[in-house]
Amino acid sequence: MENSCYNPISLAGKKFFISGAASGIGRATCILLSKLGADLILADINQKGLEETVSLCKPTDVTVVMDFSQSGVIKEHLSSLVSVFGKLSGCVHIAGKPYISPLKSINSATALEVFQINTMTALELSKVFASRNISVDEGGTIVFISSVYALVGSAANVGYSMSKSALHGITKALSIELAPRKIRVNCIAPGFVKTKMGDSISHFFTEGHDEKIREMHPLGLGEPEDVANAIAFLLSDMSKWITGSIISVDGGFTAK
Amino acid sequence: MENFYEEIAELLEVDSVSGQETLLSFKCWDSLTILSIIALADDNYGITLSTSEINDSKTVDGLKNLFIQKKS
Ligand SMILES: NC(=O)c1ccc[n+]([C@@H]2O[C@H](COP(=O)([O-])OP(=O)(O)OC[C@H]3O[C@@H](n4cnc5c(N)ncnc54)[C@H](O)[C@@H]3O)[C@@H](O)[C@H]2O)c1
Repeated sequence: MENSCYNPISLAGKKFFISGAASGIGRATCILLSKLGADLILADINQKGLEETVSLCKPTDVTVVMDFSQSGVIKEHLSSLVSVFGKLSGCVHIAGKPYISPLKSINSATALEVFQINTMTALELSKVFASRNISVDEGGTIVFISSVYALVGSAANVGYSMSKSALHGITKALSIELAPRKIRVNCIAPGFVKTKMGDSISHFFTEGHDEKIREMHPLGLGEPEDVANAIAFLLSDMSKWITGSIISVDGGFTAK
Repeated sequence: MENFYEEIAELLEVDSVSGQETLLSFKCWDSLTILSIIALADDNYGITLSTSEINDSKTVDGLKNLFIQKKS
């Protein structure tokens, strides 16, 4: 008898594009997908971070520096990359930027930049991926990362919330539009995860804020790997009957 | 820093401000207004402020000096 375990979450032989691969959830995702056998194109604005991540993946994985605040970058790079790397089975848009600002200090230019990175890039990536030149003939899977703040309100967060809740609209609409192509579209809404993103906005908050945030999560704060696990599931055939779903991975934050 | 007083007046929800006015004296002085000053500092001046630094600056001119000091 063959001595190999049944592994329905194996991603061997599959190729994926991962944005936001230089840090946090993106890095943890790349490492996990790599362990599950996938081949990856890792994209981010942070070249040094990308190099660190790829050193923890497969030597054959490819990195590409892209600035998602510029529209059109995915189209510009992906066709030529895929012609060498091979067609993709899926893509995940993890890159993102927070924007803490109460309504009265909302700056349109900043809000639009955040929207471009968090939301429009997800749409542009989907558009490129859905092309038969880019994705495998059997279809594929697209995963977005939103936030608990796309589901529940939070003061001083409207710029970020609108960028993330728009991902839910994109998920629903594209899941219907792309179902005939056998492309599944899903979104994960994480609670607070310990990454650089939290550090980058810590100056907005007073002492005791961390404790308050922790209390909002019945299971405590998340690790990047907690979100990566859900991404791997949505990329694998284990989720082949799931599309148009917004999956909360939030330690119980939205259960309250 | 040319538009500093106008920008701060808008966040303090008044038509104009003078340098000696204490921040606590404004009707809208609360945690959200403090966050809006941190966001303005980030967006328009590329500087990082904390709540305690803003509270410690006490007056409008104290706040202006904080911005100048952080920018230099
Ligand atoms: N950390 C959390 O608590 C949390 C909670 C909910 C949702 N999220 C979402 O998860 C995703 C990953 O966040 P994270 O916590 O790992 O943060 P992170 O800061 O560690 O990673 C974000 C990545 O996005 C990249 N990025 C930012 N702007 C870019 C641009 N213009 N072009 C290309 N790349 C760019 C960064 O370089 C970084 O590698 C984000 O979309 C975030 O909104 C995070």
